[in-house]
Amino acid sequence: MDSFLTSRIVSDILGGLTNGAIYGLVALSLVLVWRATRVLNFAQGAMPMFATYLGMGLLSYHWPYWVCVGVSLVAAFAIGALTERVLVRPLYGKPEINPIVVMVGYLIILEAFAAAIWSTTPRSLPAPFSPIDWQLGGQPVGLSPFSLFEIVTALVVMGAIVTLFRFTRLGLQLRASALAPEVSRLLGVRVGRMLTLGWMLSTAVGAVTAILVASNFFTGLTPQLMDGIFAFGFIAAAVGGLDSPVGAVTSGIVLGVILQFVGDYLNSNAIILVALVILIVSLMVRPSGLLTRSATRRV
Amino acid sequence: MTPLARRGAAALGAFAVAVVLAVFLAPRASDAAAVVVVAVVATAAGFVGSLPRVRAERPALARAMLTVVLVDVVVFATAFLSVPTDFNLATGAGMAIVLLGLSFLTGASGQISIGNGAFMGVGAFATAIWANHHATTPIVVTLLISVAVGALFGLLLGLPATRLRGPYLAGMTLAFAVAFPAILSSFSSWTGGDSGLQLPNSATAPHWLVSLFHAGTPTLTTDTLWLTDVIMVATGVAFFFMANLFASRTGRAMRLVRDNDVAAELVGVALPRTRVIAFVISAAYAALGGALWTLLNNSVSPATYGFALSITILAVIVIGGIGTISGALIGGVVYAYSTNVIAWFVAQTGLNPQGNLASQLNGIIFGALLIVTMMFSPLGIAGTVRHLRQRRALARE
Amino acid sequence: MAISKWRRVATAGSALLLCATLATAATSIGDAGAASKARAPKVPGVTARQVTIGATVPLTGIASSGYNQVAKAANAVFKYVDSKGGVNGRKIRYVLEDDCYGTPGFGCTGVPNTVTQTQKLLALPVFATVGSLGTPTQDLVRTLLKKNGVPQLFVNSGSSDWNDPSQYPGLFGWQPSYPVESKILAKYILSTYANQNVCFLGQGDDFGTNGLAGLVAGGVSPVVTDFYSTTSLVATNGASIAPYIQAFQNAKCTVVYLDTIPGATDAALGAALQLSYTPHWVISSVGSDPQTVAAPFKSLGVDPEVGAISFTYLPTPTSASPWIKWMYKVIQADPTDFPGFTSTSPLNGNIEYGIGFGVAFVEALKAAGKNFTRASFLKLLTHSTFTQTPSLAPLQYTPVNHQGLNAGQIDEVASATSMKAVSNTVYTTNSKNGPVTVVKRLSSGIPAWLR
Repeated sequence: MDSFLTSRIVSDILGGLTNGAIYGLVALSLVLVWRATRVLNFAQGAMPMFATYLGMGLLSYHWPYWVCVGVSLVAAFAIGALTERVLVRPLYGKPEINPIVVMVGYLIILEAFAAAIWSTTPRSLPAPFSPIDWQLGGQPVGLSPFSLFEIVTALVVMGAIVTLFRFTRLGLQLRASALAPEVSRLLGVRVGRMLTLGWMLSTAVGAVTAILVASNFFTGLTPQLMDGIFAFGFIAAAVGGLDSPVGAVTSGIVLGVILQFVGDYLNSNAIILVALVILIVSLMVRPSGLLTRSATRRV
Repeated sequence: MTPLARRGAAALGAFAVAVVLAVFLAPRASDAAAVVVVAVVATAAGFVGSLPRVRAERPALARAMLTVVLVDVVVFATAFLSVPTDFNLATGAGMAIVLLGLSFLTGASGQISIGNGAFMGVGAFATAIWANHHATTPIVVTLLISVAVGALFGLLLGLPATRLRGPYLAGMTLAFAVAFPAILSSFSSWTGGDSGLQLPNSATAPHWLVSLFHAGTPTLTTDTLWLTDVIMVATGVAFFFMANLFASRTGRAMRLVRDNDVAAELVGVALPRTRVIAFVISAAYAALGGALWTLLNNSVSPATYGFALSITILAVIVIGGIGTISGALIGGVVYAYSTNVIAWFVAQTGLNPQGNLASQLNGIIFGALLIVTMMFSPLGIAGTVRHLRQRRALARE
Repeated sequence: MAISKWRRVATAGSALLLCATLATAATSIGDAGAASKARAPKVPGVTARQVTIGATVPLTGIASSGYNQVAKAANAVFKYVDSKGGVNGRKIRYVLEDDCYGTPGFGCTGVPNTVTQTQKLLALPVFATVGSLGTPTQDLVRTLLKKNGVPQLFVNSGSSDWNDPSQYPGLFGWQPSYPVESKILAKYILSTYANQNVCFLGQGDDFGTNGLAGLVAGGVSPVVTDFYSTTSLVATNGASIAPYIQAFQNAKCTVVYLDTIPGATDAALGAALQLSYTPHWVISSVGSDPQTVAAPFKSLGVDPEVGAISFTYLPTPTSASPWIKWMYKVIQADPTDFPGFTSTSPLNGNIEYGIGFGVAFVEALKAAGKNFTRASFLKLLTHSTFTQTPSLAPLQYTPVNHQGLNAGQIDEVASATSMKAVSNTVYTTNSKNGPVTVVKRLSSGIPAWLR
């Protein structure tokens, strides 16, 4: 049993789950924005990065860790709301490339400001739990308390989002505003607020992700922190379907495990290549995602 | 003054300036002769191209003549510029071709690509790899091969695009841009890994050019001049083709797809095919730009063709005017000179040029310009200029 | 329709042309004026009062952190020398062009193209390029500089590419080549970790391959060898290194040799920490700088690099070398480029490196005398031994060896900020199969005219 738990396959699965949890969270935050406003947010990595700098920066003033996490989340809510109101709202009804370009511009500007204020030198963030793998009979298991925390966080966040959407009145209003804004408005739903809320939730999910990524102790917090992760997150979201929160997290986790095996058995330089192939193939097979019911095109 | 008279006066003026320049600047008689040839060609082509009958009945010929004028005059100018300036202009011209491809993609089909830096890299590496295996191939053939390879990659990535709506395509091209450097290092025996490739021979100026400008002694200046001019001619050809394509039936069909794809389908435009063609053309143009950069630098490095370049390409074409032809030219100039302008600005503000703020200033400025452009004038500088001119024309009436 | 579009092209084209013509007027008139007034100087970049040299370096952009200090430290040497009257009556003007390591990106305010930036230096003109940084970047301009007859001195990289005198007679490396370094480290591994399993991780370019070749030539045959790609490293935030470290642990390697840049060293040490894998680390000087490597581990409270073995060809800051004190003096005298540098600031490897080749250049320039040409300068360089530069062993070029330094000593990471020498024995070898021997004649102190 011990030898099985410390075997290469199990350790790859566990390592893959940890990375996959991160991809899944990024995918989830993309889905939240997409559902609310039909915008693919290319600044989805940069906005939480900025919030993380604002919140976790307080660590250097000796604020307690969890308070800093709280501040980061509040900052994320604020950034999400502000972005939707100021940048995104004027773009509703415009050609679909307009929000894409604006969000790319926003990505550039956020990273530039972060680097101008906090420099590009990585900042070390403490991990709340030990990042050192558990051992069985002197062999590492491929899972550390911190990576378990990452996986649990991803599942809890996903669970919370699903609960919110499925079982609460607010969730119903959120879904209604996204799918049928005119009807919802007639029924008294404050659609504008709901869309803003979608962006706030998404940025907060992103901030949770960014903190987890930055606490990964060999990278630290940098302005470009989320660039690479964003690409994997997008691939997960596109494969799972931009409309499905559960699909996004699931495909993120599956992607993480597949890529871990690719890195271990093939070559870690092939990871991105394989991810790209997965994306292209899955988009050719099912353009709206493998895990969604296919939707008719809106005219 | 009537338009015709104005045109005639302008042509005469240009001719006079050219002759004056020839007399004062050309140190030798052969230089002066070259200048006169340039001026004659420009004036003749400009005259033919601007004849009302030609413009009305043979628009393609008119465009060809105007291309000749522009390329002729630019080539003339490059002979007198310093090597770094030539180099910078040629870099901007290569970029303008890439921008033209992206501008066409958006202008003609409403799609957007965030991966054109990677397609540029495809062309750049295709040129370097081919030249390393077949050192004797003429430049034109190498360029065409690189364009074909770029088109092939475009087809490969464009096929899913037949069924994708904008954001998915944008995301997919972004993934390609992020993955491209890793793809290069996965095939390092071909691509030279992180070190990249050098061309086996540097391009050297042909004898007639050397004897024309430097009394038979080949120098670096003539080589750079030659390369610059090759690039300028290629740019002229690329713009000429694109202008015709924009005006053609296919171009009109594509614009219909952009504006209303359902309507386009109803009138019999094959949607998927049109989308793929637009995507392939944009990839081919990007590859041409990259191939020219390889020739110019005499080498290629994978570091150049990362995600940042793709983002930069998107930024400059949006600022120049996405979906327009002139936007691509403006974007090329912006690309070539933005560093100088920002450096000048930093010097004025007295910031430490390597400090945190100054070194991020280009990101802040470009990011802000992207947002402001899309919010207030989605057609960029080109669109704004057109808009102002239309307003003035209306005011005159 | 079509024509109106075309007219816009014409408008834009004329705008472009206008810029070009203005630039023409400025440059060509300027050139003509200069040419007619004074006869072109006999040696490009050299006047009676001044020597102009240049370099392309990453002052901003992706590779700038740390590396942006190297050339500035060399310039601090030049400024110091100028303040003492210059070299043979000439002051040194050091023109730095920022090439962002050839990598575009919005943090880059230079021109991310080494060829463009080198063209600018050629147009000045410069006497030589001195201390341009980077293997891929400098590879790209070798032919260009050769064609123009411009010496390419002291390239900041340990690649063997700079040692090719038959092809590139004007091209000179400075630091010991990667194989020299790994051969000397191999000797240490063989004597200290005899009969232990060695695993090797290298960068997927000539840094890794040359390093591995030296290791093997030095008698160490790794049981596992892997190469990482820098692009994957960046795209995966370092996670792409973990599978290699896992494989090393599975292969029961007790010694791990790293030919890595600092970011990859971090990823390797981090992955090992996670696996509770504690081999003896042997890290090339490229990726072992304690301050840089320790940064991401700060909040963890442990620096897994402490105890790692590395290599140096310059005096360790904790040593008694008189050069260390001199370096502090020179850097503190240059508050423009090194604001806030005090006698207690740590002296890092990048600053030492810049001072190292800066002193080498002024020593060579001094030896070249009042009248020299590019050819006579290169001849002098290949026929002298410079015993009074900061490097541990004398700097020596020959007509068939353009590598310069080929000796150094073993050191060890003592803390998150410092290295200490393992022993004061300095070893030397060549890049091929020559033996590793002890250097008998070490560098002597600071020359009188620099004190």
